[in-house]
Amino acid sequence: MTTDVKQGSAAVHEQLVQRLRTHRSGRIPKIIGPFTPLLLLVIWEVASRSGMLDARFFPPPTSIVGTFADLVMAGTLQSHVLATLSRVGVGLILGAVPGLVLGIALGAVPWLRALFGPVFASLLPIPKIAILPLLLLIFGLGEASKWVIVAIGVFFYVFYNTMGGVLQTQPIYFDVARSSGASRWRTWTTVALPAALPSIFTGLKLAVGGAFVIIAASEFLGSRTGIGYLIWSAWGTFSVAKMFVGIVTISLLGYLAGLLVARLERRLVPWSRQ
Amino acid sequence: MGTSAIELTGLWKGFHDARRDQTVIAVEDVSFSVARGEFVCLLGPSGCGKSTLLRILAGLDEHDLGEVRVDGHASVVFQEHGVFPWLSVEDNVAYPLKVRGAGRAERRRRVAPLLELTGLTDFRGAYPHQLSGGMRQRTSVARALADDGEVLLMDEPFGALDEQTRLVLQQELLRIWPDSDKTVVFITHSVDEALTLADRVLVMSARPGRILADVPIPFGRPRDILELRRDPRYGEITYELWRLLRKEPAETRPS
Repeated sequence: MTTDVKQGSAAVHEQLVQRLRTHRSGRIPKIIGPFTPLLLLVIWEVASRSGMLDARFFPPPTSIVGTFADLVMAGTLQSHVLATLSRVGVGLILGAVPGLVLGIALGAVPWLRALFGPVFASLLPIPKIAILPLLLLIFGLGEASKWVIVAIGVFFYVFYNTMGGVLQTQPIYFDVARSSGASRWRTWTTVALPAALPSIFTGLKLAVGGAFVIIAASEFLGSRTGIGYLIWSAWGTFSVAKMFVGIVTISLLGYLAGLLVARLERRLVPWSRQ
Repeated sequence: MGTSAIELTGLWKGFHDARRDQTVIAVEDVSFSVARGEFVCLLGPSGCGKSTLLRILAGLDEHDLGEVRVDGHASVVFQEHGVFPWLSVEDNVAYPLKVRGAGRAERRRRVAPLLELTGLTDFRGAYPHQLSGGMRQRTSVARALADDGEVLLMDEPFGALDEQTRLVLQQELLRIWPDSDKTVVFITHSVDEALTLADRVLVMSARPGRILADVPIPFGRPRDILELRRDPRYGEITYELWRLLRKEPAETRPS
């Protein structure tokens, strides 16, 4: 009798497991989902070649790929990519480090925040690209002006997110530091900084995106190198395929840089819920 | 009972809310002393100023009037969320040693027995979000032991735990404490918790917090949490403490 019951419940159990395992909603959209962008490209190709789409503005993707290959063979694309990446890289460091330090300082010290907060608040609304002409006057057409404009953009993202992160830290963490006898400096490095890390990374992700926007615009005007220049010069010669190569390349760079930051975040902020 | 480790005389503490122009008295004329090596529970309803009192003892808040004397350093076990989410269990426990400049090897050496004592050895590498509430509070207790003050201040450390886990941790605390030679001030709003743990229970009124009664707990040590509950005196003291607490709101209610 008891064994019967056991077998019965085991069978029911097995049946339930089977049902739960096979029952998945939205399976087909999930499988097809990743391929829809490809589908879009195919439609674009057909439409462009059949004349439904104006091929002067939307050249078929295959011809864009051809232009891409030509530019890579000639080495032009790589040198432009390198120019843009180095500007973004240097600008990121020049902007993020002061943003981090000042963000923690103003977040943790109320009188510093009261004194200097309004300065940054009044500078924040200036569109960064609007000061490019001024920077070109001050720093010339060389690399320095690009570094500085990226750095200014990055600074504000990192600064405000860091300060916000420190301000949102639960007061109890500072109490723990104090009752453990931590000095002010130790409190900054062992509590304020790690507590703010998740927001710092939010700031960094926004900063990386912003940095590519700013550098593309800056290279339109004051440069003879970089992906922004590639796009702008393609406009001048009406080589739309080249323009698309530039657009896709800079999007890809931005995407990869974002992935890199996300990876760094998983490494440095293992406690934050994904 | 030797000399006192903590001495409070005529202590007052108030807060001023500038925006609403209201002044709230949190602690009103509180005086008591705790003998060296004694375990005292402060029992009171929430918002009665007992946490404020603890913060003053810990040196985290200033008092307004009266005198406070705490012999030696006071270590604090905070309420839930007091462990750092960015540090592993081991690094959380070692934190007080680290901020005082102890090297890596020394930290490991001193923390290992504390992890063992609090049953955390197998979880030393885990982060707080991977742990149950009970494990997190064990970490908090172990960190206060690493801090190693002569006085141990505990601010409703088990308040957020479920009943069973709380009983387990109370029993653990009773096991650990006698060998530690520490003077303990333990804050709680639970009558059961107070009389299970304490040598003496100080009953506090609702805000403004005053000491209503000083109730000695007659149980010997070591204590067994389950056996205590069979002791006829357990019911009597429970009744007495509840009577003190119940009388209170009726008297202070403004209506």
